[in-house]
Amino acid sequence: MASMVGNKKSHYLFRIGSMLLITVLLVSGCGSSPNATTDKKNVKVGIVDTYTGGAAIYAQDSLDGFKLAIKEIAAKGGPTIEFVTRDDEFKPDKSTSWAKELVMNEKVDFLAGTTNSAGSLAVSQFAKENKVPFIDWGGMSDKITGAAGNRYVFSTIPNTAIIGKAGAVQLSKLPYKKIWLAGSDYEYGHSVITNLWSNLTTLKPDVEKMGETWWSVGETDFTPYINAIRSAKPDVLVVGTGGADMVAFMKALKATGLTQEIPVWAHTCYDPATLRPLGDQAPVNVMGTNPYLSNYPDTAENKAFVAAFKKEYNREPAAFALYGYMGGEFLGQAIEKAGSTDKEKIIDAMEGSTIDTPVGKATLRKEDHQVAIPMSYGVIAKVNGKITATDLHTLSPDEIMPSVDAILKSRSQ
Amino acid sequence: MSTNSSSSLILQEKFRTYLGLGMAVAGILILLAIPSLISPYYVYLLATIFTTALLATSLNLVLGYGGLLHLHHAVFYGIGAYTVAIIMTKTSWPFAIAVVLGPLVAALIALVIGWFCVRLRGLYFGMLTLALGQLVWAIVYRWNALTNGDNGIHSIPVPEFLTSVNSVYYTTLLVLIVSLVILYLIIKSPFGLTLIATRDNPMRSESLGINVKRHRLTAFVIAGFFAGVAGVLFILVERSVAPSLLFWNKSAEILIMCLMGGLTVFMGPTLGAAILVVLSMIVGLYTEYWLLVLGLLLLILVLFLPQGILGYLLKSRNNKKPSMRGEN
Amino acid sequence: MNFATLASQLFIGLSRGMIFFIVSAGLTLIFGVLRITNFAHGSLYMLGAFIAYSISTFLGQGPNGFWLALLIAPLAVMLISLVIERGLLRFIYNQDHLMQMLLTYSLVLIVGDLVKIVWGTEFKSMNVPTILRGSFNLWGASLPLYNAFLLIVGPVVALGLWFFLSKTRLGKICRATATDREMVDILGIDSTQVFALVFAMGGWLAGLGGALIAPTTTISIGMDANILIYAFLIVVIGGLGNVWGTLISSIIMGVGEAFGILFIPGVAIIIPYIIAGVLLIIKPSGLLKSAW
Repeated sequence: MASMVGNKKSHYLFRIGSMLLITVLLVSGCGSSPNATTDKKNVKVGIVDTYTGGAAIYAQDSLDGFKLAIKEIAAKGGPTIEFVTRDDEFKPDKSTSWAKELVMNEKVDFLAGTTNSAGSLAVSQFAKENKVPFIDWGGMSDKITGAAGNRYVFSTIPNTAIIGKAGAVQLSKLPYKKIWLAGSDYEYGHSVITNLWSNLTTLKPDVEKMGETWWSVGETDFTPYINAIRSAKPDVLVVGTGGADMVAFMKALKATGLTQEIPVWAHTCYDPATLRPLGDQAPVNVMGTNPYLSNYPDTAENKAFVAAFKKEYNREPAAFALYGYMGGEFLGQAIEKAGSTDKEKIIDAMEGSTIDTPVGKATLRKEDHQVAIPMSYGVIAKVNGKITATDLHTLSPDEIMPSVDAILKSRSQ
Repeated sequence: MSTNSSSSLILQEKFRTYLGLGMAVAGILILLAIPSLISPYYVYLLATIFTTALLATSLNLVLGYGGLLHLHHAVFYGIGAYTVAIIMTKTSWPFAIAVVLGPLVAALIALVIGWFCVRLRGLYFGMLTLALGQLVWAIVYRWNALTNGDNGIHSIPVPEFLTSVNSVYYTTLLVLIVSLVILYLIIKSPFGLTLIATRDNPMRSESLGINVKRHRLTAFVIAGFFAGVAGVLFILVERSVAPSLLFWNKSAEILIMCLMGGLTVFMGPTLGAAILVVLSMIVGLYTEYWLLVLGLLLLILVLFLPQGILGYLLKSRNNKKPSMRGEN
Repeated sequence: MNFATLASQLFIGLSRGMIFFIVSAGLTLIFGVLRITNFAHGSLYMLGAFIAYSISTFLGQGPNGFWLALLIAPLAVMLISLVIERGLLRFIYNQDHLMQMLLTYSLVLIVGDLVKIVWGTEFKSMNVPTILRGSFNLWGASLPLYNAFLLIVGPVVALGLWFFLSKTRLGKICRATATDREMVDILGIDSTQVFALVFAMGGWLAGLGGALIAPTTTISIGMDANILIYAFLIVVIGGLGNVWGTLISSIIMGVGEAFGILFIPGVAIIIPYIIAGVLLIIKPSGLLKSAW
């Protein structure tokens, strides 16, 4: 590094002056770029989601689901919904930065996204302050429509409170008493487990927590964790993990043979996103819950959705495709019902509204703006040489939705 | 060189001083007027630039002037932000205390980390800052009860008069200018000059009786303090914070800003911050491959413009008049 | 806590350390000889895993696929490394550390997005060959066979490195370059060719690490950052550029983590940082003597 530091004051002034000018010109230059003029008849949705890195798969699914929904709505003669997307790189500060850009510059009427819970919470805060409705179809934290919920945030994704309660209902029907809790060391993992545990202790007071294990997100080698848990000999291992960790964890279950001794519960364990990459290396005797499968429920509505999605994108829809789809459907219906593009009227129309979805009726609860859909539960087993979800049952929304009183109480605190 | 030409040089020098002064005044006037001229989003973007510029300049005190391979500066940024966030959401202490404590806690953490790191040289120093910085990140990430874990802290209350986009803009601008002046004075002070000497020749400095380690540690703590100030500004701008703010790739981003503007030029990091923030916004409008673009940009910078944009401009200007420096 | 648990956990920790070693050895070699902090090492590891996946899938995920992937993927990564060294790195050898570091960091950003463009965002998985599937019994604890396989591969790689570095002429030149670059130049040996060789070898090791880990985990974008932090910590603890120091610190890290997981499973995430922090505070310049 050559020393340019000991220069004279005049140089410095020259420098700082030119610097200031450059910065100012730079910024005012981009400030003068033509603002997109929006046709007031159309509603414009600004999507902030994670299109980079490990979580990109979910954002793509929800985006495709949303696109399918708005296409169907337009085809039926409904309102035209436009959208733009922004990549937040899984960084919450980028999420808000883009949310601001979308609202202030792109003049979007609605915000939607984002797979990162912290990002969803940050955008939700911005949405509330600026009175822009925000549809969360990616962040699963129960705080989004729970303690941090507000008039402007809606969630079309079953959150961790719902998942935890569904898991507790499933586990309470089984004879297990000594329970080991484990998961990926991030909001989703902790939140699923906390909710599951508090619900389970209510439903079945004689359960006993033996211990907790938390691994870092992106862990590649689960054997030390599994071996340590095995030595404690719990009745059941309850796991809150997702994404890439889920597949790796399932592989390790198979390799260590843990499920031959100890049954395991994990949300989305029999989701195609988990089972497809595993192939014949999927472990059996793993139970779990799942909000959506392309072959369950086996109804005409679901078949039609799968066919439409397949035609459009040449692959089967995953759960996040449904969340994005529901986001589009709820919005479209609310715009029609409100008969205007006024945001407050659309919010009023959206509150408590019900739509038909591939999994049956879905309702956006009036009080907390959380979507209520049924949830399936089952167990992985080998059927005719093929490893698949079996013993599938459906839990109705009434059984798994968190109580409105508790949510409103947490908000007032 | 004749007296005639040297006096014309002095004239030129004076002219340049006035020109510089004029441009600085014009720049500041424009900056003051700007919120009424452009859309609020760009006002917010400018506030982001000011915050990031302070952060990058504080790093450059250690990196460019101290010659220390400080690889994890974002930690102090995050600590400053988290201190304010935690005080404002978990205690009933007034905002003023949070604002004062933010940089102080950052400086304290910098003192602890720096105390271990300054014993090492070169890459070792860098690797240890990285390791200890990641330790701090892991603690912030894991300490759910205090920091809310990876969910972060949101809706952080700040005084009413600091909530509008324009007031945030003026506050960050003011703090940036004051901090830059202080940092500049530090660099020009005997301490700063000694620090530069320890960078250029640590062995000779040592033999002259300079306590190299103490100078480095002091610079490290000062840099940590101003990163903490930037962290406080971040809270003003965003009113939310998450652990990704102190993950190592954030530090890499700051390093790139310093490099882009020029490590050896005081205003280099500010320019780098401005370019990177604006560019990431513009590129993000068109593609989800911003990181690819950033990577290619960085590659070009390292290979063809290692002295940075401002460094290059100033060097080419100085090269035209080599006599000036020789005479002094 | 019985003996079987402790013994099996030790075994698992050792096999975990082997992957750490294979990846970190490449990083430390590059450190030692080229004096470059290679941030792109994690990206090379990720490329190794993705290429292994592609080969294995192309061959129908059978046992042949795995063995061929294990052979070819590291070589492919080695080739990529060679291109990086000849095409980019060699132009900045006279620049300071920071520039070299930032150049390799630019590759992290570029490779990350390129992998996404080439392989897409879906999670990938590759099969363990039949012969290495399932588990075996060790003092009453059942352990995956694949971990035993890793415990064999690790020492083989270490032995190979030892043989190369201390018994071959090329290896001796590498060590000499690490100790005193000027002297090697004076002796009329083109040190930049040594650099190319060492960088390619480092890439081969990273690719091997990626190919080895691929069947046991999810192959996904983002796996580069995780291993990179581990590798950096391990290399620093071991002493920059010292392959044997890296072996020791890899084992300390692997075994330390395994026991940390056993005794404080709730905060496993901070164990590597605690290990690194403690060791670095005790011995700031690494366990063994640094190469320079």
